[in-house]
Amino acid sequence: MSNSIDFKALWNREETSAPDVGEIFARANKLNRNSRRKIMVCNILLILTIVFYGLMWWHFHPQMITTKIGWTLMIGAMVMYVISNYQLYPLLVKADMETDSHAFLSQMIRIKYKQESIDNLIIKIYFLLLAVGLGFYYIEYLKKGKLILQITVYGITLALLALNWFYLQERKTKKQHKAMNEIISKLEAVNAQLNE
Amino acid sequence: MENPGINFEEIYRVYWNKVFRICLGYANDTDWAKDIAQDVFITIWKQLPGFRNEAAIGTWIFRIATNNCLRQIERHARMPKTELPEQIPAEPATDIEWQSKFLYKCIAGLPETDRIIISLELEDVKQAEIARITGLSESNVRVRIYRIKEKLTLKFKQYEQQH
Repeated sequence: MSNSIDFKALWNREETSAPDVGEIFARANKLNRNSRRKIMVCNILLILTIVFYGLMWWHFHPQMITTKIGWTLMIGAMVMYVISNYQLYPLLVKADMETDSHAFLSQMIRIKYKQESIDNLIIKIYFLLLAVGLGFYYIEYLKKGKLILQITVYGITLALLALNWFYLQERKTKKQHKAMNEIISKLEAVNAQLNE
Repeated sequence: MENPGINFEEIYRVYWNKVFRICLGYANDTDWAKDIAQDVFITIWKQLPGFRNEAAIGTWIFRIATNNCLRQIERHARMPKTELPEQIPAEPATDIEWQSKFLYKCIAGLPETDRIIISLELEDVKQAEIARITGLSESNVRVRIYRIKEKLTLKFKQYEQQH
């Protein structure tokens, strides 16, 4: 074979009939429906949370300000988690597809780092609000109880939170961190190809 | 929602095979390439009303196509190997069909950005335009195309010697 292999002719042999343009629209509509469904799920979760909050408040008639603060913090944690996951997060990690490859890869790397730090921040705030909220919430109901009851309730709550934070969450975070690092390393390696 | 003078269906008709081949050069898997190509046209359909003719429509489309290919790094774990294939499996086909399949296989074995550069070159995209699509300098693009073609030629020669 000579040096003059006609790569273009070989390249152009590959063709496939274009799917009906309707298929593209249908696929786009399906994607739109999916993102609308996500927003709907978010709204339903928020409404349910607020309804639950109202019902509990109405049922227990909390008297002390600490209970009200506790409830508000716990509900705030849930609302923040739902909103950030379903509405804020997709906006923050949206990529510009119209830029050049080099800028696109740099942007993807930035997004991945941002995604990881947002994930960590959201989960930290969520746990903090939940833990402080629970702490305040119990005050009213435990203040008349014996010391042993107070220690037991706070102890179990703290143990459950600690188990979740130091074991379950830590395991999940490590796994996500590993997967994210692999993606980032690959993106950086590909981006480095453009600097060679 | 159409940009005056630019019709999506016309773009789709003219660019489908070009975009499909670029995706196939990247993935070397027909179904996967079709999936990426469909995503490319969904992006084009969505972004077309905002296209302001600042770049040539072809450059704009190829940017979206190549970025969708690069996005597969994140979306798929099943990436093609980054080394050139040593041999291709025996399948009944004419010599020219063999060579075409072999070419795509060789391209999919190149580093990701080289796949994109050579795919655009083989699609007859001008080197200045490839530079604008990839973010490389024109001279860098020229050197890379030369080197990639050398690699591919060598691979074809080795293949010919073995058969």
